[in-house]
Amino acid sequence: MHPTTAAVAAEPVVRVRGLVKRYGDLVAVDGIDFDVAAGEIFAMLGPNGAGKTTTVEILEGLRAPDAGTASVLGVDVATGSDRIKSRIGVSLQTAALYPKLTVTELIDLFASFYPKARPTDELIDLLELGERRKARSQELSGGQRQRLGVALALVNEPELVFLDEPTTGLDPAARRALWDIILGLKADGRTVFLTTHYLEEAEILCDRVAIMDHGHILEMGTVDELVSKRFKDRAVRLDATDALSDTELAALPAVSHVKRDDGDLLLYTSDVGATIGSLLALTDARGVEAKDLTVRRPTLEDVFLDLTGRALRD
Amino acid sequence: MHALRQLTIANIKSYMRDRAAVFWTLAFPLIFIFLFGFIFQGGGDQTLTIAWVDLDKSAASTQLEGAFSGAPAVKLSDAVDRAAADTLMKAGSADAIVVVPAGYGTALTAAAAGSGPPASLTVVVDPSRSSLLASVNQAVGSVLGVVNLGGRAPLVMTQAETIQTENLTFISYFVPSILGMSVMQLGIFAAVPLVADREKGILKRLAATPLRRSQLVGSNTLMRLLLALVQAVIIVGAGVAFFGVEVTGSFALAAVFVVLGAVSFLSLGYVLASFTKTEDAANGLTQVVQFPMMFLSGVFFPIAAMPPFLQGIARLIPLTYLADALRQVMVGGVPFAPLWVCAAVLLGWLVVCFAIASRKFRWQ
Repeated sequence: MHPTTAAVAAEPVVRVRGLVKRYGDLVAVDGIDFDVAAGEIFAMLGPNGAGKTTTVEILEGLRAPDAGTASVLGVDVATGSDRIKSRIGVSLQTAALYPKLTVTELIDLFASFYPKARPTDELIDLLELGERRKARSQELSGGQRQRLGVALALVNEPELVFLDEPTTGLDPAARRALWDIILGLKADGRTVFLTTHYLEEAEILCDRVAIMDHGHILEMGTVDELVSKRFKDRAVRLDATDALSDTELAALPAVSHVKRDDGDLLLYTSDVGATIGSLLALTDARGVEAKDLTVRRPTLEDVFLDLTGRALRD
Repeated sequence: MHALRQLTIANIKSYMRDRAAVFWTLAFPLIFIFLFGFIFQGGGDQTLTIAWVDLDKSAASTQLEGAFSGAPAVKLSDAVDRAAADTLMKAGSADAIVVVPAGYGTALTAAAAGSGPPASLTVVVDPSRSSLLASVNQAVGSVLGVVNLGGRAPLVMTQAETIQTENLTFISYFVPSILGMSVMQLGIFAAVPLVADREKGILKRLAATPLRRSQLVGSNTLMRLLLALVQAVIIVGAGVAFFGVEVTGSFALAAVFVVLGAVSFLSLGYVLASFTKTEDAANGLTQVVQFPMMFLSGVFFPIAAMPPFLQGIARLIPLTYLADALRQVMVGGVPFAPLWVCAAVLLGWLVVCFAIASRKFRWQ
């Protein structure tokens, strides 16, 4: 399913080398390199302020980089952003729309900006906005507004679609509905570049993920690569307790490392049975209870926690 | 062109759906006109004051003076010469001037004997004071009618002359002034939705499309111009329909000034939008700019009536020149500055504001 690293190198839709963006003293993007291959869903994952939006806005031609190069669809953003704009679709983090115009009016308006445009009715059907076509954008729910934002991003049949945190603030049902639409874009052969701070979203949607924090890309690859590179092990989880020290937990059989995060105590192990057996022996000896003991496969969440030392939650 | 048209239509729709904005641009000036129109409409005194200039000093001219002063509702006010009479009329102390030229008596005698053309009288009126014209004509007609009965052919003919006086009726002064004020507000208040669109990220979203900035500014300008013209029709229409304001000048020239004023104040609006970050701040700043402009530009009372230091300020305000130009063009108001100066000042503000805004305005 996932494109190989070789395929990515062949003809990238996005190519970024040594990209830097500063705001005064703050270095928002600090020398990052990455490629996005044609037809893949690529996600930048990171907490707020990691530099994801700045990176995306440079690629969209909205900001000029301070150093490094970036090309989109083979065109350098520094010199050709006008040529790029008609071939990309953009949904900004805050779906910024004229509040008093209706769904149909907004789609028609954006269609007029491009040389070719997809029929408005088709987009309304695709984004399931049929019942709200005459509603003003200010009357839409959060999920509907995000879907309208995606509709506007698709109005020009773009080869590459940027979605900046498309599901932030949506309820689970609305989020799932939008995921289906994003997967549909890939099925149409479009490349999707999205930013998110939902690990689950990246796991479900993305071919490749770049984990970003403080302006750096910490790790990049497929979700499987990222997880298996760091954790050959399973994770044993229990409620955190002060009765057990990290040192003694790390000394338990087969445990590779121990993480504590906000009430969770995680033991990564190559032998679940041996670890749990000795863990329970230890808790018995201390007279504490191993509450909510579970075993699971490591996820992106674990990767992120391991990389940054903190959890990625909203 | 397609994008420009669609964006202009979208702007107009957005605007028309904002009830408060529609109220402020269209209804607010009307309320002003009706309010002040009714307050100042008042009866006033119906006596016609005629400045009397007798350059003949003959028995015939004295007789004529007697006939005029005996006419109903006419009061004569003697003036030494035409210049003195003009001063009286401009000061509002006379409603019309009658000049009896030297040689009137002789000419009248000749005309009565059938050996000469009719003697001539000069009647000077202010055409912008339409309500007075009828009473002047009536008074002159009734007096000369009696004189002319003496011969088969008319013995005395009148020559009409016109003069511009400062003494416009209040509403005639007020209607073009309010039009100027509305054009000013329409222009500088463009800053508010502009800053709001930037604050909401709409301008940034548009920047991610191939739409050019010139198209964005162009559509904004087109919409404001259209609104300015609609405003002009409503304001002038109300003045004409309800308060008998007579537009004596050229509609085309008035439209030129409305358009020039609108783009000039719109560019000032862009300057204000360049120095504000939030919608509230933009609202505050436009109020701070518009209030002194409204009251110091001669919209509500003539600049000549202001103390000298305020007149100095009035000279710097662009609205002074727009309102002055509109009064001159539409109702024959006495110029504060020549029309070309008014046009040049507005153009100058446009150029300066455009230069500042194109440097300082931030799109995101």
